[in-house]
Amino acid sequence: MIGRWRYWRLKTKLLFLTLFTSALGIALVCASLIFVENQNYRRQLESELHVIAGILAEQSAAALVFEDNEQLNSIISSLDRIETIQQACVYNQQGNVMTSLAGMDKRECPVVNQQMEVGFVDEVYRLLMPVTLDNEVVGQLFLTSHLEVLRGHIRTFVFVATGIGAVILVALVFLALRLQRIVSEPILKLSKTAERIAQDHDYSIRAPVSGTDELGRLGNTFNDMIGTIQQQNRRILESHDSLERIVDARTSELSMANRELEAFSYSVSHDLRQPLRAVEGFGQALEEDCGDQLNEAGKDYLRRIRAASVRMAGLIDGLLVLSRVSRQPIENQTVDLTQLLQEITDELEDISDDVPSEVHIQQGIRVIGDSRMLRVAFQNLLANAWKYSAREEKRIIDISARKEGRWIAIEVRDNGVGFDMRYIDKLFVAFNRLHTPSEFGGTGIGLATVYRVVRRHHGEISATSKVGEGASFVVKLPVSGDQG
Amino acid sequence: MDGHSILVVEDNPDDQVLTVRALKSASENSPVIVLEDGQEALDFLFGNHARHPCKDLDSLGVVLLDVKLPRVSGLEVLKSIRSSPLTNWLPVVMVTSSDEPADLLEAYRLGANSFITKPINYREFTEQMKLLARYWLVVNKVPKAGAVRSY
Repeated sequence: MIGRWRYWRLKTKLLFLTLFTSALGIALVCASLIFVENQNYRRQLESELHVIAGILAEQSAAALVFEDNEQLNSIISSLDRIETIQQACVYNQQGNVMTSLAGMDKRECPVVNQQMEVGFVDEVYRLLMPVTLDNEVVGQLFLTSHLEVLRGHIRTFVFVATGIGAVILVALVFLALRLQRIVSEPILKLSKTAERIAQDHDYSIRAPVSGTDELGRLGNTFNDMIGTIQQQNRRILESHDSLERIVDARTSELSMANRELEAFSYSVSHDLRQPLRAVEGFGQALEEDCGDQLNEAGKDYLRRIRAASVRMAGLIDGLLVLSRVSRQPIENQTVDLTQLLQEITDELEDISDDVPSEVHIQQGIRVIGDSRMLRVAFQNLLANAWKYSAREEKRIIDISARKEGRWIAIEVRDNGVGFDMRYIDKLFVAFNRLHTPSEFGGTGIGLATVYRVVRRHHGEISATSKVGEGASFVVKLPVSGDQG
Repeated sequence: MDGHSILVVEDNPDDQVLTVRALKSASENSPVIVLEDGQEALDFLFGNHARHPCKDLDSLGVVLLDVKLPRVSGLEVLKSIRSSPLTNWLPVVMVTSSDEPADLLEAYRLGANSFITKPINYREFTEQMKLLARYWLVVNKVPKAGAVRSY
C-alpha cells in the first residue's frame, strides 16, 4: 500500500489521512472511556459488596457468638434477593462453616486461611470479612459475586461507544470530503494551470490565487515565475524580430549593392570598351587611310596605341570575368573534367602556332561543381601553362587527378619557365605578376580568378615550381561538392 | 549586292563612323541608314520619322541594333519589331560591346536573328561586317513587298 501511496491522487491522500487519524482518535477515546468505565463499575461493585458484607457481619455477630444457626440462616437468606451474590458462607472463630446461602452446599465453601485469594479472581469477586463483636473477631463472612451485570454494562457501553464513534466517523467523511477541497483545490488549480501553460506555451495564463498561506504564496511565486518567463519570451521575440529586421535590412542592402555592382560591371564592360574600340578602330583607319603620310616612327606609335588599347580591353575582360565568378551563384553538378580539359586544350591548340605540344589528360576525372566557373578556372590555368611553356622546344603539359581523403586533387604540370618560390605569396593576388610584360604578356588577373573559383567551391589551390623547371598547380576540390 | 539597305541603330558617334566605314568597305552599293537611339528607330520603322521618312520598309535588308541605347533600349526596339506584323519579318542582328550572357539569352528569346560582340580589334570588326553584309544582303532572302502588305 505504501508503494502505491505515491500514485494516489492528492484528494484521496488528504481524505485518507483525515479519516485515518480521526478513526484512530475515536478508537483511542472509546478504548480509554471503556477502560475508565470498567474500573468505575468494579469499584462500585466492590464498595456495594463491602457495605452489604459489613451489614451482614454486624447482624450475624451476636448469632455467631451464640451459635444460633437459625438466626444466621435467616440473615444469610436475606441475600437471596441480591442477584449478583453467588456464594455466601459464615465461619465461626475456628473456621468451620456455620451456614451458607440457600441452595448451596456447605462443602462448596472454601477453607478459610491466610493464602485465600480475595478481590477479583477469575470470573468472580471474592470477599472475606471478619465478623467482630466489641473489637473481637468472632468469625468470618465470605461472599462471592459474579460479574455478569458488570459485563452487561461494559458490553452496552462498548456498543454505544462504537456506535457513536461510527456515526462521528461517517459525519467526518462528509466533512473531510468538503474540507479537503480547501487544501487540495488551490494545488489542483495550480497544477492544471501549469499543465495548460506547458501544453499551449501560453505564458499569459495565471493561476488563481486566494489567501496568504503557503498555498497562496506558492501560487503567487508560480505566477511571478510565469511572468518572468513571459517577459523573457517577449524580450527574446523582440530581439529575434529586431535581428530579423536587421538581417532583412542587411540583405536588401547587400542585394542592392549586388545589383549596383552588376550594373557597374555591365556599364564597365560597355562603356570602358567603347572608347578603346574607338582608339583601336580610328588607329586602324588612320593607318589604312593615311598610312602613306606617316613615317616609320609615326606608324610605330600608332601600333603602340592600338596594342595598348587591346591590352586594356584584355584587362577589362579579365576583371569582368573575375567579378562574375565572384558574384554568380554556384550551381553544383557533376562535371566531366576530362572532357572539359580536352575542349580547352583543343581551343588552345587551334589558336597557337608556336611550338609542338604534348598534352596528357587523365581519363575519367569527375568533380562536383559549377561547370561554367570550373571552365573559366581551368581555361586560365591551362592558358598559363601554355603561355609559360612557349619557349621550350616542345610543350609538355600533364594533367592528373588523385583522391586525397575527402578531396580530389587535380594537378596541372608544365615544363615551362616556372617561377621563383620566393614570390609564391603574390601568385594568386590580382594585378600581381611574376614576369615582366616583355617576357610574357598577361593581365595578372588569371590566377586571381582561378583562386576565386576554387575558394567558392570550398577548395584549395597550391603551386610549386623551380625557375626553369616548369610549374605544378594543384587544385583540391571537395568530393561531395559543398563541404568546407 | 542588290541594293538592299542596312539600318544601323547606334548611339555612339565613334561607333557610327567606324561601323559605316566597315560596312562601306564590305558592300559599297548598299545604302546605310544611321539612327541614334531606340525611339528614332521605332519612329523610322513605324513611319513617324521626320528626317528619314521610310518610304519602303521592304528595301531594308537587315537591321544592326545596338543592345544598349539611350531612352528605348535595343532589346525593347527588338520587342516592338517582333510584335508588329509590318516588321516582324525583318532580320535583326543585335550588336553589343560586352558579352553579357543575360543579354545574349534575352535577345534570342525576343527573336533576334543573330548576336555579335564588337571586337576591340578593328580589323576583326571589319571582317565581321563583311561577313554580315554578305550573308544578310546576298545569301539571305526576305519576303517581297507585296507578301508583307497582304499579310
